[in-house]
Amino acid sequence: MNHLTSDELIDAMEGMLDATRQQHLDACEACRRELAELSSVLREARALNVPEPSPLYWQHFSERVRTAVDAEALPSGGWPRWLRWPALVPLAAMALVVIALMVSAPTPVDPPAAVAAVDANPGDVALAADSWVMVADLVGDMDWDTASAAGLVVEPGDAEWAVLELSANEQQELTRLLRAELLRAKS
Amino acid sequence: MTHGSAVRTWSPAAQPEWTVAVVTPSAPDAAAAFQEMDDAALVAATVSGRRDAFDVIVERHRRVVYQVCYRFVSNHEDASDLSQEAFVRAWRGLKNFKGRSALSTWLYRIAVNVCLNRVSAKTPPTEPIESTEPFEDTRIESAQRTLLREERAAAVRRAIAGLPKKQRATLILRTYHDMSHQQIADILGSSVGAVKANFFHALANLKKILGREP
Repeated sequence: MNHLTSDELIDAMEGMLDATRQQHLDACEACRRELAELSSVLREARALNVPEPSPLYWQHFSERVRTAVDAEALPSGGWPRWLRWPALVPLAAMALVVIALMVSAPTPVDPPAAVAAVDANPGDVALAADSWVMVADLVGDMDWDTASAAGLVVEPGDAEWAVLELSANEQQELTRLLRAELLRAKS
Repeated sequence: MTHGSAVRTWSPAAQPEWTVAVVTPSAPDAAAAFQEMDDAALVAATVSGRRDAFDVIVERHRRVVYQVCYRFVSNHEDASDLSQEAFVRAWRGLKNFKGRSALSTWLYRIAVNVCLNRVSAKTPPTEPIESTEPFEDTRIESAQRTLLREERAAAVRRAIAGLPKKQRATLILRTYHDMSHQQIADILGSSVGAVKANFFHALANLKKILGREP
């Protein structure tokens, strides 16, 4: 009869081996030796302890988790993470840069068809100008510290982080917009 | 000082003879109430905005989560950081917890995933032997024998740390947390057959590694 398989050896260690295979095990020296060696290793592993931290540690641990969790939004409701302030600010900044480029760049005489689809029209220009006025009104009297405290300051790496948080479709759309703008700037 | 319930009374104009008492538990009452709740109720309370209900979840499961993490990394600092990360991830994902498995199983899954993602294949640093082993009276056991036993324990720790991730996770959950093969399969996202195979290979590898130890 065949020796015990790995599954059967595990079953045998856990007392779950079926009767006919148990008969083989009882009669087979090789299988019994293999089982004894595996059981011995398991006993050694089982004997390792995890040191118990002090009760003070647990209190400190709970406080650490509470602090970390307080830095997060509530698990229910709210905007998706990529739409919250720290991500929204660099995204908005990037969008304003794109709009500004669209407004300030000279209009090509004969733009390629792909670019024409995203070309600025008078409505866009007015919208961009209104956006700048609104932003200027909002932040005109704000000093640097206040803006930092409000999370309105773009930190190094924020834009990259925001882009990484975008979905595949959003990244594709952003790439398309930037490419179109680069093409237009070159021409 | 008593922590009684704040009672607000309301008398509707249409039914002046009615008096409805709306009882709002004060903070200590709420904390005590949370302690009495089962995990499902705590999850519901947390998702509905009761931040302090999550504190009770942490308090209830922190020890087991820490132990899982410690088994992976064999040192207190890393185990502590990983446990904290596991709970923060649990907080983020709690609204998606559907209760199809026990909360403890779900937390195990998060902790194991955090550990599997963080733990590198190389042997992690372990704490000095004397700080991880229980105190033994060396008047009874000779110093030399104690030393040999501790060296062997350290060798077993190193051997476990050197196992492939899935084998290590399976060994830890089966050996130290008494989980069934099915529970481990659920946590690791694999089949019962794969769990048994991983368990066998973990033991066979340990046997091979420890057989080479002096």
